[in-house]
Amino acid sequence: MRTVAVALAVARKDLTSEWRTRELVPALAQFIVLALVIANFGFQFDSRTAPAIAPGVLWMTLVFAGLVAFGRAFAAEREQASLEAMLLTPASPAAIFAGKAFAAALLLGLCEAVLLPALALFFNVPLSFDVVSAVLLATVGMAVLGCLFAAMVARVRARELLLPLLTLPLWIPFIVIGGQAVQVAMGAGTGGTGSATSLLIDLDILFVVLTSLVARFVLDD
Amino acid sequence: MTSRLSVYEKAALGAVALMLVAAGFIFVFAPEDALQGPVQRIFYLHVSSAIAAYGCFAVVLIGGIVYLWKENATADRLARAGALVGLVFTTVTLVMGMIWAKPIWGTFWTWDARLTSTLVLWIIYAGYLMVRRLAEPGRQAARFAAVVGIFGFIDVPVVHFSVTWWRTVHPGPIVINDALPAQMLVAFLVTMACTLFLAGVMIAIRYRIEVVTDQAAARIVSAAVVAPSKAGSTR
Repeated sequence: MRTVAVALAVARKDLTSEWRTRELVPALAQFIVLALVIANFGFQFDSRTAPAIAPGVLWMTLVFAGLVAFGRAFAAEREQASLEAMLLTPASPAAIFAGKAFAAALLLGLCEAVLLPALALFFNVPLSFDVVSAVLLATVGMAVLGCLFAAMVARVRARELLLPLLTLPLWIPFIVIGGQAVQVAMGAGTGGTGSATSLLIDLDILFVVLTSLVARFVLDD
Repeated sequence: MTSRLSVYEKAALGAVALMLVAAGFIFVFAPEDALQGPVQRIFYLHVSSAIAAYGCFAVVLIGGIVYLWKENATADRLARAGALVGLVFTTVTLVMGMIWAKPIWGTFWTWDARLTSTLVLWIIYAGYLMVRRLAEPGRQAARFAAVVGIFGFIDVPVVHFSVTWWRTVHPGPIVINDALPAQMLVAFLVTMACTLFLAGVMIAIRYRIEVVTDQAAARIVSAAVVAPSKAGSTR
């Protein structure tokens, strides 16, 4: 119970600070729209090719927006050296980490609330429940992994270089499964989305458990 | 003559000799494949080096867990050595697979589940070595790398079972399914044993290099403590 309270307090702190500065989400929303504009020029879009291309654009944009969002999650803590102060409190590092990851996942969720309607609007693809659920379920696992490695690279040199190198390979399972589910839901690809949902939940559980076990070694250094 | 060789040099010479023995089994003892012709001989080293890479990454995983648990420097050095050697064997596996794929599949690369997951494996452990280089040497680098090594190992069973989990064009397991003729099986087992010995020797030598590097770093630190201005100019 205590752990949950600490995690929620940390998450509230991050969300409050984002609400007061309003820098991350508006910037990422612009980034997302720009990515869609570039995709429009890079691909030959028409009503026939849209179902085949839009899922790829969705995941490419989401992955790079996620890297920026999670990279920022620990940037403010590093600049103010406030993580050390939080770790001096009796709160468990795993709870602090859970709070950071929860807040980062919510912020990325806000960006998805821009990305998915914009994708549906500009590329005229259906925005079904399956698409939203696949993206949201992938966000959970991507957030815990992204925050773990963001906490790590916040303390090393060349952090902008290292974060994608460490995070992207471990995000690939989410993109494999989520990508296929979105392809099916948008009318390309074959197969059902039922197994994708349960596989994404399995992956989420696996990575939430693993990250909560090792978070202490990454934060408490 | 031999007395002047260190135990590492002897082991390295032994490993080279064993690999030549394996080459003899591959090119002379094993019969030529009726369908694929001489290209099939790539299989022996391709599969052996994949298994050696799994073994090396298991060393990284166990070394990482032991380091996080006990803060044992030996475990960390072993993990470091395992990651580098494992990356070498993954490279060998990928390159030999591509050489085989060109005549058999007609292309060097296809986005098959096993090929893709092996490529991801390569990227994960290349990232592991990057963390080692970029993190602060010592406790931080060891801890961060251990975490990457633990997460990275998740991909090893994915690579291994990819041919059964997904429909792939990559040949499935033929050794454990008893689908190899006896002479080919002998050639494969000999090659695998020699390759695993080579991997062990490479890890041992790399481990020795890590020990010497750590000792040199410690000497620089202690020199800096004694005479800061002098040591500052040496680094």
